[in-house]
Amino acid sequence: MCYEMNQLHLEASESTEIQNLYTSKFWACNFKKDKFLRSNIKMCALPNIEFERDLHRKYLNRFLHHSMPSFLANMDTNRTVLAYFCIAGLDILDDLDKISEERKQQMIDWVYQLQVCNAEELVSGFQGSTTLNTMDNNNQNSTYKWGHIATTYSSLLSLLILGDNLDRVDRKGIVQSLRSLQLEDGSFKGAKEGAENDMRFVFCAAAVSYILNDWSGIDVEKMVDFVLKSISYDGGIGQGPDLESHCGSTFCAVAALALSNNLEKLSKDQFHNLRRWLLYRLDTGFNGRPNKPSDTCYSFWTGGALKILNAYQFIESDDNPQFVLMTQDRYGGFSKWVNSVPDPMHTYFGLAGLSLMNYENLKPLFCELNCTKEVHDRLMTIHNQWS
Amino acid sequence: MSDNSSDECDTQHVLYKNRPEWSDITPLKQNDGEHPVAAIDYTEEFEDCFDYFRAVVQKKEYSERTLELTKTAASLNPANYTVWQFRREILKALNKDLNEELEYIGKVILKQTKNYQVWHHRRIIVEWLQDPSKEKYLTEKSLSEDAKNYHAWQHRQWVIKTYNLYDGELEYVDQLLQDDVKNNSAWNQRYFVVNNTTGFTQETLNREIDYTLGKIRILMENESAWNYLRGLLLHDKGGLSRNEKVTDFCETFYEQGNRSPFLLALIVDICSEKITNNGGGDGNNVYTSARAKELCNALATQYDTIRAKYWLHISETIENQANEQNSMDESSTTN
Ligand SMILES: [Zn+2]
Repeated sequence: MCYEMNQLHLEASESTEIQNLYTSKFWACNFKKDKFLRSNIKMCALPNIEFERDLHRKYLNRFLHHSMPSFLANMDTNRTVLAYFCIAGLDILDDLDKISEERKQQMIDWVYQLQVCNAEELVSGFQGSTTLNTMDNNNQNSTYKWGHIATTYSSLLSLLILGDNLDRVDRKGIVQSLRSLQLEDGSFKGAKEGAENDMRFVFCAAAVSYILNDWSGIDVEKMVDFVLKSISYDGGIGQGPDLESHCGSTFCAVAALALSNNLEKLSKDQFHNLRRWLLYRLDTGFNGRPNKPSDTCYSFWTGGALKILNAYQFIESDDNPQFVLMTQDRYGGFSKWVNSVPDPMHTYFGLAGLSLMNYENLKPLFCELNCTKEVHDRLMTIHNQWS
Repeated sequence: MSDNSSDECDTQHVLYKNRPEWSDITPLKQNDGEHPVAAIDYTEEFEDCFDYFRAVVQKKEYSERTLELTKTAASLNPANYTVWQFRREILKALNKDLNEELEYIGKVILKQTKNYQVWHHRRIIVEWLQDPSKEKYLTEKSLSEDAKNYHAWQHRQWVIKTYNLYDGELEYVDQLLQDDVKNNSAWNQRYFVVNNTTGFTQETLNREIDYTLGKIRILMENESAWNYLRGLLLHDKGGLSRNEKVTDFCETFYEQGNRSPFLLALIVDICSEKITNNGGGDGNNVYTSARAKELCNALATQYDTIRAKYWLHISETIENQANEQNSMDESSTTN
């Protein structure tokens, strides 16, 4: 166990090559944790670390409402995904009420501003950012103004969480465009051109269809076939056939099956082996692949998949919340490892992972979509209004 | 300046708005709405570059200067897939030498090894060139820094599968496993190679089982190797429980006092399989439900306590399985 800890330290310090704007703060918090770690040789005997609810709220709001530092420019095309992580994280914390109605409406409008309705080119959906948008092409279709399947999924969820009823969503257009993204092998590519295809986008396609309550954009049989073909010899599921099992792709695959009502397509053996493989991911926290270090985000990817497969109750370990709590940053947010740089994605998954552990009155989740049960319930009432 | 110098970023960057050769273009500002969300405090260089990017995309200008512009844009945000898409269209329109592009993107990849877009660009250029000869080297270089890089493995599998480049791959995998016997990606690649070349014939199966047991001997606590062993046994007609090499191996280590949770788990599964396959019929069968129960208990209380509830659940399942089997056996004998 101590060896594992060292490993963790090593890899964590290697990962900080990205410029860290919060360097001085970062070291301040390192010091505290280092001292703490040295005094705790064994992971299993960790004392409680306090859950910094307030700091996380501040951290997520900072990303939503203030400008991010320029070194995060490589997030530029994924701003809606980033926004979703922040909005969804605040929802788990039950802190969205603290954002004014006016600001919420602004955020909803910003997301809708990124909607593309383009039935001719079949690129309807939501853009990830305004990078290509100018005053000239405002509300108009133009070159490369395309939706992307991952940002469409994130945007729809953000709208729902913020209380929007999806009234302005071009449901028909999105579903039509979805159809053009499915490939012969059943998988999905992310966008009309220039994007790869793998299990992530299979999940996004299923989630979008579920949210819009319209599965006519997917050849579900082919999709299920792709998922089953991606099951590896070890029981887990990779990004595609032959690829290494990974908790991210496993979650995506399992959620896609669940959302499309196809979990029973897994044979008894496949089901058994999948649950076993996922349960083996529990180490100090959850890792994403065998013999890899634990990482905060897998407390959701793995935990969520286990929940969907009705096997989460087999996890009984205090180390897991401890591990996640240790990846909190002193100034708010969670990072992947102890002593690393926090980011909104790991902050969301940290909170989601803790919610699965029924920790600190965090709102319960509807894992299949990656949102709270409350949001899912509201989606169901919206579906009733549509029909 | 030629488009091929890859060290542009190191030299003083001149903003596009200050370059006379760009004076005919009116830069287009980004419209982020009045109340942006998750805004980024772009640097002046970033804003300047993308102002011109927006302008030339609108015009669909395919030229040397826009090709160079995409290089700057990609260096500022390599994850922008539109930049790569536009760049590819320019490359095509200008009929550029794709070997140079391959060299350029190779350098970018080695700096950005975990970025989807750059690997995707590489793949498309390889497809255009129909030249996979440099891909193994590139992925090896990338894997020498992180032997578990998923992107690199994905690219490598794609190129091997598409262009039938399996030769030498097993040796490469073996080398990686010698370096790190816990490298799960290498084990996965081993399965990929065998599965897509010889397949799991009895001969291959024997060889692979020997290989794997040898690796487990080196390190018992290695989930990757145990998983691979189970993967092999999927192809054994006798299933988990009838391969004597494997059962002998397990029993020897067990008798020597080894209690690796992976070893115990495999014996539990062998018991479970035996119970379903031939009930209690086997005379000197050591793989009984009683033994499974005992091992599950040991796992739950001593050797794999973080999964205690799971092992107790498995113990129960096996017991039910055995009871069912018994009543089935009874009803068949009374009939
Ligand atoms: Zn992570």
